[in-house]
Amino acid sequence: MSLQFALEQLATHRTKNTRASQDVFRNGLLVLQKKGLKKLGDDGWTFLEQLTLASIDVGRLDVADQCLQLIADKFPNSPRVDCLTGIRMEATEPPEIALKYYADILEADSANAAIWKRRISVLKRIGKVEKAVNELVQFLDTFYTDVEGWLELADIYASCSQYDHSLQALTHVLLLTPQNPFYMLQAAETAYTAEDFPLAIKMFLTVVDMTDGDDSEQLLQESTPLGLTVRAWFGVKLCARRIVQNTNMKSASNTSSPKKLELLDELATERLRVAYSSSGQKGEIAQGRQEVFAWVATPLS
Amino acid sequence: AAYSTYEHLSLLKALGKPEGSLPLDIVYESVLALILGLFGASLNSPPLNDITWASEMKKRTIDGMDSRLGFAQYKSRGKLLFANPHQGKE
Repeated sequence: MSLQFALEQLATHRTKNTRASQDVFRNGLLVLQKKGLKKLGDDGWTFLEQLTLASIDVGRLDVADQCLQLIADKFPNSPRVDCLTGIRMEATEPPEIALKYYADILEADSANAAIWKRRISVLKRIGKVEKAVNELVQFLDTFYTDVEGWLELADIYASCSQYDHSLQALTHVLLLTPQNPFYMLQAAETAYTAEDFPLAIKMFLTVVDMTDGDDSEQLLQESTPLGLTVRAWFGVKLCARRIVQNTNMKSASNTSSPKKLELLDELATERLRVAYSSSGQKGEIAQGRQEVFAWVATPLS
Repeated sequence: AAYSTYEHLSLLKALGKPEGSLPLDIVYESVLALILGLFGASLNSPPLNDITWASEMKKRTIDGMDSRLGFAQYKSRGKLLFANPHQGKE
């Protein structure tokens, strides 16, 4: 594996925000061994930060300490370095020491978003979920545009089964990132779990629109739904069934249910059949095809 | 081309005649160098990305979008799963 390939992979992980720690660690060690650090120049510091976090995640604290020492020597009073030192402390010391370290930094500079986030995550880890939620809500009052924070709040509420609060947090995410189909899908599935079926079906259809909507040249019969679109069509079918079963259920958000449910159901069935009928990249048939065909064939009511 | 321009200008200054336009062959050389440079840069550029949001979203994954790295937990089982087996207790 060449140095160039390793550097490209690391840059991809940085842009796409994935947490592939083992991959980053392996590529990062390769870069260090082949002396690629000088080649990166100024970019080398973000690379070292990425490698520090990945080595802490993988458990190789010796490598993490080396990288952290290099960064701390270069940037002695930086808040980012404080954050990294705090994370290193979280990995080995008891949580009270890490909390005290973060509290000290926040006293000196109470608008340090990264340190505040680490404090909230430590509180969540040791089980003080209510305190974590209160601090997170305070944090989001100050930093409204932090999408990560709203997603974390939605996740905490969902883990406590408070799906309507989770949906409220996700609506803020949707305001902040209106073009993102992943968050719309998460909101649709949360709405379904919160039993707000008309809202859920509308959101699922919006996801389909967002992910498949630009195939305007191809006819509908020719395009195959892939990825998120398939998940959204599954959601449409599930919602259609539940709406038909509970005809007099009120939607918590006062959304009206769609009028032509049978047609929507038929469309969803056809799209799912197409999605599972086309042969994949290696020419093989999708797994689970028979089960999907059997399930979509059952009638609506 | 830039080097020959500079050399000519310094020669003119040395001869005491700094004004006057550049000699014609130097002009031709710099224009040719510009055209060649344009071709080289445009043919050598990295592959172009689509400009729509939808095409960019097709390349992302749920794990990337939902990673919330600012809140990530670093005290995980990674230490036990990935550490060097010879370093642990035997």
